[in-house]
Amino acid sequence: MTLLDAPAGEPLRIVDLCGGEAVRRRLLALGFHRDDLIQLDGRAILRGPLLVRNCASDTTVALGRGVARQVVVEPAHEPA
Amino acid sequence: MSRPEVPTVVFVGQPNGGKSTLFNSLAGPKAETSNFPGTSVKHTHSRVVLDGRPLDIVDLPGTYSLCPADPAERVALTHLFSERPDLIVNVVDASTFSRGLELTLELIELGRPMVIALNMIDVAERRGVEIDAAEVERLLGVPVVPTIAAYGRGVRELVDRSFEVLDRGRPPRPPRYAADVEDVIAGIEQALPPTFPAAPNPRFVAVKLIEMAGQGCASYLGEVEPEVQAAVERGRETLARRRGAPAYEVIAAERHHQAMKLAEETGKVRHGRRLTRDKRIDAVLMHPFLGYVILAAVFLAFFFVIFRIGSPLETLLLKPFAALRSGLAARLGNGLAFYLAEGLVQGVGGGIGIVLPYFLPLLLLMAALEDSGYLARAGFLLDAFMHRIGLHGKSVSPFILGFGCNVPAIVSTRGLESRRDRVLTSILIPFIPCSARTTIVLALIAFYLGPLWAAGFYAANILVVALAGWAVSRFMTEPSPGLILEIPSLKAPRPGALLRKTGLQVLSFIRFAWPLLIGGSLVLSLLVYFRADRWINDLLAPLVVRGLGLPHELGVTLVFGFLRKELSLIMMLQALGVDYTNLLSVVSREQIVVFTVFISFFIPCLSTFVMLWKETGKKWAFVSAGLSIAVALALSWLVRLVL
Repeated sequence: MTLLDAPAGEPLRIVDLCGGEAVRRRLLALGFHRDDLIQLDGRAILRGPLLVRNCASDTTVALGRGVARQVVVEPAHEPA
Repeated sequence: MSRPEVPTVVFVGQPNGGKSTLFNSLAGPKAETSNFPGTSVKHTHSRVVLDGRPLDIVDLPGTYSLCPADPAERVALTHLFSERPDLIVNVVDASTFSRGLELTLELIELGRPMVIALNMIDVAERRGVEIDAAEVERLLGVPVVPTIAAYGRGVRELVDRSFEVLDRGRPPRPPRYAADVEDVIAGIEQALPPTFPAAPNPRFVAVKLIEMAGQGCASYLGEVEPEVQAAVERGRETLARRRGAPAYEVIAAERHHQAMKLAEETGKVRHGRRLTRDKRIDAVLMHPFLGYVILAAVFLAFFFVIFRIGSPLETLLLKPFAALRSGLAARLGNGLAFYLAEGLVQGVGGGIGIVLPYFLPLLLLMAALEDSGYLARAGFLLDAFMHRIGLHGKSVSPFILGFGCNVPAIVSTRGLESRRDRVLTSILIPFIPCSARTTIVLALIAFYLGPLWAAGFYAANILVVALAGWAVSRFMTEPSPGLILEIPSLKAPRPGALLRKTGLQVLSFIRFAWPLLIGGSLVLSLLVYFRADRWINDLLAPLVVRGLGLPHELGVTLVFGFLRKELSLIMMLQALGVDYTNLLSVVSREQIVVFTVFISFFIPCLSTFVMLWKETGKKWAFVSAGLSIAVALALSWLVRLVL
């Protein structure tokens, strides 16, 4: 599933970053890589952006829907 | 070993890592800081003397990586490439340690002497992260100094370690990647011509070529050489084939894994108490409903506070100048001396009595808003609305900065990734009422018609920005790349930093704007004395009198509004020959509104126009000016019809 359909507040693993090269490069630079654990912290109203937190570096970014659609995730099991 | 020339020390770090704060504590208050990704986009140079030794210190714009995505980041890379700094001070935000390390690894690759300032360790501790600085130092081979720049902690040690490295430091050893990546790097290194001019070192160039080929850095990477180009293409293809991902992703992943491993080996994360308080505040600030209530409240409070402080101050401060003016009139009669003295009193008094009472609180509040990190939150909340006008949430920060002054707001659009977004944002910024226009709105509309009218003015103004954005974006077919905006951690603004920032801006007002106000008033005095103002007024009469329904005398003041918007306000009083308090005896309330609307919109002020030209080119500067004139005429006419 993409980040758009992901449940909020649960750990997710990035399976793939799709989309154009510019978007992928920007996501990498902001520390979002394949296999990273992330968490969806909130959604803005009116089809606004998503708040996404990288669990390892504890950084938060706002991703527009167009960008969030390019991030493929799967539910991750909480590390023991 | 001491060098004959002054060594250059360059500060590099990711945005919001406290880099400029640290820089300021060494340089004195010369670089401005703020808590929004991409606000310090110009680099700041400063010559300092530390421990009796001169140093050139340079604060580069915050950059997430050395693969630039926007013009601000490009400044950082080109500078590092062309200047060959004697020392790099890498400021790493300890609270986002593992990500910051990725830039650190890139910097180490440059092969220049380096020191790491592990900054904001207090924030990291609040988040439950403990980092063993000595272990980081051992593993990276680079001196690491824990600092809290905001309180000046660790700065002394940082200076000592920096001198140590400058005197006898060796450049750190670059990180090694997996064998297949190393093969490709070595292959490209060999293809580089031995006399490659800009190269800091062949390995760095090779790695950057793998990452950046075809990204518009061709000239200084030496990509233009056909042999190099062929080697790079081969290498990139090999990597992509072996790893099943584009070459730049392979390098990024290698670096990411090294950074993660290093962070794991040197940091302890205590789960459970990770920043619960800040998180709760953020949940409210970005709440789908409460967030907007707070946003509206913040803005209303912003202008209400400025008006509540400004208007009584204004009345108080203008009294002595009014008395002085009538005293001068009695003493000097009606000669040239009186006209000149009057111009001087109007210019000086206008600066102190009308501009500063509103300007000062606005600057202070704006600085607080910037430093707190709230602008990024506003960007998150307003993104959906910005999409309606063809932009996204990242343009919110330049817009809000525009309420202070349009000029730095236009500069800050360099933090936007696409040229389309930069141009669109830049030509809309002149519609944002800056502090000068806020002064006019508060001093005229709020003072004479009431604060509610002023609020209405702002609402209408924001609507104008939205409509203009909607209209212009119809002509920009290129799609916007979409929002990727970091939300930095919230910081309580420090009074010292706010005062310093405000002080700097007041100083620049006194130095540049105030003389202009005084000079403008004097010029008007001379024009009036020699009756030259009539010609200008006659020339503009069709517009001013017939078009806008304003008094004939105001024509000349509109012309001067192009220099600085407040000048029109001060000259208005002078041209009409009245004191501020009895303005209503010569103009009606409706005329005040029309005047304010026209002055606010009719053209970007001179400095804004110059900056627009510089940042977006001649064409767009004129488009913006034309748009402003059209909007000003239409709106003033509309106001005349309605009132």
